[in-house]
Amino acid sequence: MLLCDAAHNKMHSDEEREAHVLVIGSGGAGVRAAIEASTYGETILVSKTLAGKGGCTTMAEGGYNAVLREQDSCDIHFEDTMNGGALLNDPALVRILVDEAPRRMEDLLRWGAVFDVTDCCEVAQRPFGGQRFARTCYAGDRTGHEMISTLIDRLHSTEVWVENEITIISLLKDGDRVNGAAGLDRQGNLRVILADSVVLATGGGTKIYDISTNSSSGTGDGYALGFRAGAELIDMEQIQFHPTGAVYPYDARGRLVTEAVRGEGGLLLNINHERFMDRYDPQRKELSTRDVVARAIATEIMEGRGTVNGGVYLDVTHLPRSQIETKLPIMLEQFLKFGVDIRDEPMEVAPTAHHIMGGLRITPQGETTVPGLFACGEVAGGVHGANRLGGNALADTQVFGRRAGDAAGRAPSLEKIADTMGIDAIQSRLRTFDQGDVQPSTVIRSLQVAMWEGAGIFRNAKDLEKTLGIIDHLSTLKMKAPARENLAGCCIAGNMLTTARLVVKGALLRKESRGAHVRRDISQAWDNRTSPYSHTYQSLEREGIEVRP
Amino acid sequence: MKELRVRIFRFNPEAEDHPHYQHYQVRANDGARVLHVLQAISDEMDPTLSFRYCCGSGQCGSCAVRVNGQAVLACMEEAKDSMTVEPLELPVIRDLVVHMEPYLEAIASLIPTGEFRMPTHEEVEAMKPLRSCIECLACVSVCPALKVTKFAGPTVMREDMRLAIDPRDHEDRVTASVADGLFTCTSCQACWKTCPKDIQIPGKAIEKLRALANREGLTLPRHQEVAKLIQDTGRSVTRTEPTLMEQVPEVIEPRGEVKGTVGFFVGCMYNQRLPKSALDALEVLKRNGIRVIIPREQVCCGSPLIRTGQVDFLDTIKSRNINCFTFRGLDVVMTMCAGCGSTLKHDYTTPFRIMDITEVLTRFGIEQPAPLAIKATYHDPCHLLRGQGIRDQPRELITKVVDLVEMPAICCGSGGGVKSGNPAEADALGELRRAEIEKTGAEVVITSCPFCEYHIAPHTDKPVKNICTILLEGYAEKDRKERPPA
Ligand SMILES: Cc1cc2nc3c(=O)[nH]c(=O)nc-3n(C[C@H](O)[C@H](O)[C@H](O)COP(=O)(O)OP(=O)(O)OC[C@H]3O[C@@H](n4cnc5c(N)ncnc54)[C@H](O)[C@@H]3O)c2cc1C
Ligand code: SF4
Ligand code: SF4
Ligand code: FES
Repeated sequence: MLLCDAAHNKMHSDEEREAHVLVIGSGGAGVRAAIEASTYGETILVSKTLAGKGGCTTMAEGGYNAVLREQDSCDIHFEDTMNGGALLNDPALVRILVDEAPRRMEDLLRWGAVFDVTDCCEVAQRPFGGQRFARTCYAGDRTGHEMISTLIDRLHSTEVWVENEITIISLLKDGDRVNGAAGLDRQGNLRVILADSVVLATGGGTKIYDISTNSSSGTGDGYALGFRAGAELIDMEQIQFHPTGAVYPYDARGRLVTEAVRGEGGLLLNINHERFMDRYDPQRKELSTRDVVARAIATEIMEGRGTVNGGVYLDVTHLPRSQIETKLPIMLEQFLKFGVDIRDEPMEVAPTAHHIMGGLRITPQGETTVPGLFACGEVAGGVHGANRLGGNALADTQVFGRRAGDAAGRAPSLEKIADTMGIDAIQSRLRTFDQGDVQPSTVIRSLQVAMWEGAGIFRNAKDLEKTLGIIDHLSTLKMKAPARENLAGCCIAGNMLTTARLVVKGALLRKESRGAHVRRDISQAWDNRTSPYSHTYQSLEREGIEVRP
Repeated sequence: MKELRVRIFRFNPEAEDHPHYQHYQVRANDGARVLHVLQAISDEMDPTLSFRYCCGSGQCGSCAVRVNGQAVLACMEEAKDSMTVEPLELPVIRDLVVHMEPYLEAIASLIPTGEFRMPTHEEVEAMKPLRSCIECLACVSVCPALKVTKFAGPTVMREDMRLAIDPRDHEDRVTASVADGLFTCTSCQACWKTCPKDIQIPGKAIEKLRALANREGLTLPRHQEVAKLIQDTGRSVTRTEPTLMEQVPEVIEPRGEVKGTVGFFVGCMYNQRLPKSALDALEVLKRNGIRVIIPREQVCCGSPLIRTGQVDFLDTIKSRNINCFTFRGLDVVMTMCAGCGSTLKHDYTTPFRIMDITEVLTRFGIEQPAPLAIKATYHDPCHLLRGQGIRDQPRELITKVVDLVEMPAICCGSGGGVKSGNPAEADALGELRRAEIEKTGAEVVITSCPFCEYHIAPHTDKPVKNICTILLEGYAEKDRKERPPA
């Protein structure tokens, strides 16, 4: 690894490290990719956080979808996923997801994952929204955490070199090919890593919204890094708003209230104690799909039937106390910490930005449109279409993490030439943060509010244009890093602006309502099956929407 | 919105020799957590403040800090006015950020066996409580053993135990855990009580591993000797003077009106080694109207066996102890030894209620003693404070007699078989107590556990006294004052 001192614009090579494969991100996808890539040659995994502690994988509660029983079939899982995704998914990717999810689950079990099992020693499965079979495997309500513990455990048994707490701020290129990345460590030193192939596994980015379920690393860095390196992204407008996020305390707003609460029989009530889902989806009521429930709650709140804290009630007080204690222990514990005993009082919830379905366009091998660059996990697009089914993202991280790691590992060894021009450009950009005058936190706050207001659950061209204007304005502000350690914060804010722009532009490009994307200013004469449109796409070179053949 | 004043530990080891504390006045939303206050400071006042966080919801274990001395998750702990926020007691990188990697890397990895077998439902249920660890290292930061001896720490023990249960793991985890320092744990329970996920490492991992080690013949020779002594004599220590039971009758009637009757589970230490403290306690009880019954058949509670994993003949001991009190129709059995009390409360199922002597005295109420012009500090016995959750009662009693100066509640080093098995470690911890006692400027150290009394005494030049002894001194002073002048 080359170590550069950002403040002095000189490169030392006292810690020179090159690798065959560089993996960026230590969530489910990144760690799985690194494990696989390490069978081919030296692999480095870098992570913005301590490995395993960052990202959304650790936070996933619900589960992992895999066909494990004879009564179930991969074909049904395929159909459920396509229908859930409003048929915008890339069918080839979905096929791979459903076919390989069981085998990747087997890997996890072999490596020691402690999933719940039935009395017959089979992995237990629970029902999840939009699926015709109970195929969601789980480890209590801490499934993602169990996965990441297992994966990190496994990673320690490989030769992978782990670099903690380095924020990648730019991909590096040799001609057309991505051949490394530059990042900042805790102290703000510039670190350069060169590799034959780079796997982007940076996760999602709904932190661009005021209200979000994501971890602090969900800032969309990967979308921005990929975009700037020339990769094409698809369907960036497709943002999943989870219907139930906490509204109190204010600073923890958006925190996920798991779907399992409704699964167990939780009722949604407005301020008049009316069970309003009767009006929006009389058949499925609370257990309708996420997009429908989220829109229903948003409508109730917008029309003045919300609580003072700006939510609606999610009530489980009619359930036996023991059921709440055994089936929803984490929810009970979290709300108790915040002063609400959900056995006696209703929770207050409102929609929260949860998942980005769009992302870098990939082949089944995880190749992006740029040679040398691979992507997997939430940063990649196409698998989940216009709406992700609960439980499919964790499976996605394992299936496509392995594939991307494998393909990256197979890439030929090349002479590694440092992208000096790229590095110079990075350093001059970093120097601008010496002279700036605006805190990145100020930029981020303004962006989050603008995105929530103008590119949220309900959209129209006018608001989207206005939001784009705000993003443009924010992009002109000169951000300030008072100390070297703050340089990464400025870069991250920049990435958030880029990701937000991709989302808003995608939303303008898609002139229809589809899945999670709702355009109130457009009336359409088609449904998901007959829609004339396929993916939106954006890259440095082109943007548009694909028309179905 | 509310205004909070907070005090925050700042340190940049690369540029500064010493840490300092910085005060901030922060505007915070209702219900804000400590993390939100830190964010508000870094966003609006001082972007150089370093701290870690990620999930914001108690799931990733990045954000543990000390708030007013207690290790907590910053993202879950409610922010309070006048709080002090410090890093965990681990090597500091910058401000609130500590070195976590070396401790995380010490946690063992599963090595798959050649042949795969799914764990059974029972095995999964046994592993699950040990798997909910988010590796926040709060437990590691409070572990006294780890501070003075080679010990991989509580969360390593936790995972060693999980792997020992897991049929998919190939390695001998029991031997590994012994090498990791299995026998250095003092059973102080600090790790469990600080754990945000409530993982009972001492009981569910360490004692279980010690029991497995026992089966493999890895129990320390000194611990085996203690077990043999219990088996042969019913007592875990030899006598050095006439025992308590030899000095008092089975039923001890109080002076004056009888307010209540309790059975007295004396325990090995008070019976065999420190009968003087127990005699003082009996005097106090007598004076306060409590009738005490001491069944002669009682034996060691078995704590030294449980803590060291030697549980073969435990059931015999337990039923003997339970029967002798049940037979006398007692509803309340009083313990005076913190270790016995904790064991009877948690490791026994009894038809009677167990109360520590400080609970008995505060419950029935005691005659006011004369105050003594003495500055004293109180050492919280681990098995009283954390084992039984008894914090206020001893203080209520002590402050009737002396001025109390607090010191941090840290294990003295005598528990968990460490005093016999690892005397050097026990002494090192005793010396840490000496330093804390010095800091308080107290003239007397008060405690309420024979192991602590016995162990701290050689590690301080101040007298170490039982709570009852000090109460008795207060009564003596009162009597002296009230005695008509000769
Ligand atoms: C609260 C919550 C609950 C969920 N529950 C479920 C569920 O039950 N089932 C399900 O299927 N899905 C669930 N999801 C979705 C799912 O968890 C995520 O989509 C998935 O885990 C993403 O995995 P990933 O590996 O792509 O990214 P992440 O797990 O988010 O990891 C991203 C990694 O990249 C690193 N990183 C980011 N930027 C940089 C940078 N610039 N430089 C270096 N490193 C960087 C981060 O530190 C992190 O290590 C949930 C999501 C959330 C937020
Ligand atoms: S019980 Fe005390 S000594 Fe033992 S591991 Fe826990 S904190 Fe350390
Ligand atoms: S056992 Fe508890 S305190 Fe220790 S690291 Fe795990 S979660 Fe944290
Ligand atoms: S930030 Fe993850 S546990 Fe606190």
